[in-house]
Amino acid sequence: MKTVKERGNTAIKSRRRSEIISCYLMLSTQIVGVLVFTLIPMLWAAQKAFFHYTGAPSETRFVGLENFARLLSEDKVYWGTWLTTLKFAFFKLPIELPLALFLAVLLEKKIKGKGIFRAIYYLPNIISVAIVGLIFSNMFDYFGLINAWLVKLKLITEEISWFSSTGRAMTVLVTASVWSTFGINVLYFIAALSNVPKDVYEAAKIDGASSFVTFFRITLPMIAPVMQTILLLSINGTLHVNEEILVTTGGAPSGTTFSVMAYQVSKFVPGFAGDNVNIGYGCAMAIITSVIMCAVAIAYSKISSKLQNIY
Amino acid sequence: MKIEKKAARFLTYFILTAVAAIALFPIIYVISASFKSNSEIMVHPEHLFPVEPTLDNYKQAWNSGNFQIGNMLWNSLYYSVICVVITMITSSMGGYVFSRGDFPGKKIVFAVFSSLMFVSIGSITIYPLFDILDIFGLAHSLWGLIVMKMFGVSIINVYLVRSYVNTLPKALDEAAKIDGCSFFGTFARIVLPLTKPIMATVGILAFQGSWNEYLLPTIFTLTRPEQRTLIVGVVALKNSGHAAASWNLMLAGTTVALIPVLLAYAVGNKYFVSGIAAGAVKG
Repeated sequence: MKTVKERGNTAIKSRRRSEIISCYLMLSTQIVGVLVFTLIPMLWAAQKAFFHYTGAPSETRFVGLENFARLLSEDKVYWGTWLTTLKFAFFKLPIELPLALFLAVLLEKKIKGKGIFRAIYYLPNIISVAIVGLIFSNMFDYFGLINAWLVKLKLITEEISWFSSTGRAMTVLVTASVWSTFGINVLYFIAALSNVPKDVYEAAKIDGASSFVTFFRITLPMIAPVMQTILLLSINGTLHVNEEILVTTGGAPSGTTFSVMAYQVSKFVPGFAGDNVNIGYGCAMAIITSVIMCAVAIAYSKISSKLQNIY
Repeated sequence: MKIEKKAARFLTYFILTAVAAIALFPIIYVISASFKSNSEIMVHPEHLFPVEPTLDNYKQAWNSGNFQIGNMLWNSLYYSVICVVITMITSSMGGYVFSRGDFPGKKIVFAVFSSLMFVSIGSITIYPLFDILDIFGLAHSLWGLIVMKMFGVSIINVYLVRSYVNTLPKALDEAAKIDGCSFFGTFARIVLPLTKPIMATVGILAFQGSWNEYLLPTIFTLTRPEQRTLIVGVVALKNSGHAAASWNLMLAGTTVALIPVLLAYAVGNKYFVSGIAAGAVKG
């Protein structure tokens, strides 16, 4: 015969066991998914990076570090796409983030229809980037609306072929990209600004600070921590730019507008790439790329925390 | 002073409105251009609004042999709806377990799930994915992608639900526990009904995300054009080599592809925004 206490203990124990089992059952699909659809593919890529591998067993052979060596020392095209990606970020972020902050500051004032402005600014963000690519390649088409308007306004004498020069194609890409994502940064900045206590502003006003001084001396330092997050998200998103480029320019002219992610798709993914590609080489490229991406994110957070110490 | 203030106010509204106009412009342009005749698209690109609005592009898109818009619309619809259901089920359970569950390995599992957000090898993994799905005869079809989604982790949504459940009083669970409710029972009967607002956010974001998806559905339907979703089909037209002559179909297709997302946004605007706000707090 068990005592009442013992019976209670076994009840608690079995209850505890059933909770643990329930937890794992409820997560089971996701755990299986991580193992099968994420971890295994990663290990597969890590292994294939050391092979010459085209999918055909007869052509598969172990090449050691050759793929990596070739990528690091010879592949000018690949490193060129990194340069393109950086250029893209270099043009996009200095336009987008100050613009978003500026709009957020304006929206912080007593404005009628605040909600409507916010909703409209965020609207482009909900549209598929592929569709954004289509819309902008239509507008900037040789026989498109933008050319027609520019000619009419006599800003240009004849139609421009937007996608035949790297600089112009890049202009279209940056324009489309800023258009599609500035709104989310406006919302982020609004959230950041609304966390700044109002009495600080009042104190500044009493001290006679101009709105210019208030902005640079109070607002900016107060939102600096959130701004770091916003900047990290933007950098991360911009470096990964992919589908928009595939759809808008497809690398035109001659592959010079491929970002590093878009380049890999165009080079190795079925439907975009040619036949019989060396997938092993693609794996080495994918690994190096993701290592660099991680390094950038880590370096950024290290540097920005150092900067905060200086302040 | 008074005049200065008025001028500043005017300038503020002017800037805000100008940016709003730019934000809206491409959308308005595409929708209105989809009602232009093909010849007007070619000859009068400068018209923002069609001189003689026509439904021809839509009729042609509907009846065209190779651009089966009805079929693609159906594919987009069932793909998105299934994705929404899957995401809501997995992320509600995930969020609940990571908030309330107490089990060995919780920290590790959560850390692994979270790190997936940052570590990804990218598109090359499509080869092993196809190899794995091939075992079950699911590669190269939209259903293969759906199965992958079924086992996927949408970590942002798990975060959203988790932080929402964190705000619910623990006393609720304990009361349910005392009444003999199991861990899963507490979830299904007590917690889930209370998470409606955040589940609406999760659902609407999942709909938008899957409706808009381009790269993966393209790769999975390469050999089966009849399974293409709308976005995939419309973009495929651009790359088909008849791009210049099919702008009318593309514009009509783009408009049709825009409508569900715009509607969702009009109806559920606050859910979109609460999703972003929660995501930003998370950092």
